[in-house]
Amino acid sequence: MASAFRPSAARILASRPASAIRFLPQTRVAAFHASQRSQILPAGPQVVIGGVNDPAPIPPTSAAHGSYHWAFERLIALGLVPLTVAPFVAGTANPALDAALGTALVLHSHIGFDACVTDYFPNRTYPKLRTFMVWLLRGATVTAAVGLFSFQTNDVGITEGIKKVWKA
Amino acid sequence: MSATYRRVDNAVTNHGSPPPNAPPAARLVEYPTGSSNPTGNPHHDPQSGLRAMPPTDNDPSPTKKEPMFKKFQIYRWSPDEPTKKPHMQEYTLDLNETGPMVLDALIRIKNEQDPTLTFRRSCREGICGSCAMNIEGTNTLACLCRINRDASQTTRIYPLPHMYIVRDLVPDLTNFYKQYKSIKPYLQRKDPNPDGKEIRQSKEERRKLDGLYECILCACCSTSCPSYWWNQEEYLGPAVLMQAYRWLADSRDQMSGERKDMLDNSMSLYRCHTIMNCARTCPKGLNPGLAIAEIKQLMVQSS
Repeated sequence: MASAFRPSAARILASRPASAIRFLPQTRVAAFHASQRSQILPAGPQVVIGGVNDPAPIPPTSAAHGSYHWAFERLIALGLVPLTVAPFVAGTANPALDAALGTALVLHSHIGFDACVTDYFPNRTYPKLRTFMVWLLRGATVTAAVGLFSFQTNDVGITEGIKKVWKA
Repeated sequence: MSATYRRVDNAVTNHGSPPPNAPPAARLVEYPTGSSNPTGNPHHDPQSGLRAMPPTDNDPSPTKKEPMFKKFQIYRWSPDEPTKKPHMQEYTLDLNETGPMVLDALIRIKNEQDPTLTFRRSCREGICGSCAMNIEGTNTLACLCRINRDASQTTRIYPLPHMYIVRDLVPDLTNFYKQYKSIKPYLQRKDPNPDGKEIRQSKEERRKLDGLYECILCACCSTSCPSYWWNQEEYLGPAVLMQAYRWLADSRDQMSGERKDMLDNSMSLYRCHTIMNCARTCPKGLNPGLAIAEIKQLMVQSS
């Protein structure tokens, strides 16, 4: 991890006795820590960008990552409700409805997992891991989309498939 | 009706020296001047119009309460000994000798047991937001939080979670204040005031600010938000976002577009996942989660 190469962390490592303890997760000296050691990674150093009286920097405006993204996410989530209910109402599987449901499901899960990646792998701390996770998610989404597409075209489709599996 | 106020001294009205455990002198009783003594209180002083409290020297001496010892465990860490791990230090107080609030207990510990215990406090009535800390697992103001009277349970007090600690219960709020400054929390106008006078608001417009302007920026909500724990360098957090909405909702402010543009990115606003810890923990009973939802709606309507 990049944190092991921070000067302060390196100093702490060096000052520890050369034993197996070195390789256990270590608590930074100033870390917030009062009970047991159950942390995965040590807390990073405090970073203050600019002077203490300067306002925090404002990221560049990007509606595609902000308001449009949020509106799109909500529309898909709302759209999934009628798309899920429609096959029950119709009674039969409709290929167009199936295709819409499949697309919405894939997009919905992609946006959901993407939010997890943004939350847990911040660019400022783990830039390489973040890039890897983003591409891993994209790969998974494409795989799921291709799989659903072939299931839709070569097999019975989502609704019929679930009907066959569902034994309630 | 005129009334005179005067300090009523026990030594005078009691016709003798006060008993050893009498409360301190100086009780004020308002009584209209010139009227008779409708209460029939024998301690009424017709000249001053003041009615004294009944004397206490004839009362049986109050029985002393059994001491009620309660343990407090408080997070301790000092920058003077940076290599020493943070630890919980235990203090025992007699609750019958302590005020009702956790802040009373902290002040008493600092005065009588351990002057090195460090915490912020100022107004002791929930209006300054200095004494925000994590008490029994909930972020709240120590001055508004009653001590749990169950003496068998230990009260555990930590600083605000996931903050860098200056010492003991004092968190470093530098980033929080920098974020507050970044949203420009002041009225911004393009046009001069219409007639050179104050900018007027209708009652409805003013009502939109209720539930927003009361925030005292104690940071209880922001530090209770998991999203803020993970990304506090970039996500503004509930307290600052509620203030952002306070200025977006203000009918007198003319920079709504710029204010919204500032929030239109993936991190500043949209790391809110409606977890609602903010509304649950707010010691002032406000709802930052609702304000953030209102911002999200405003953002869609305009763009």
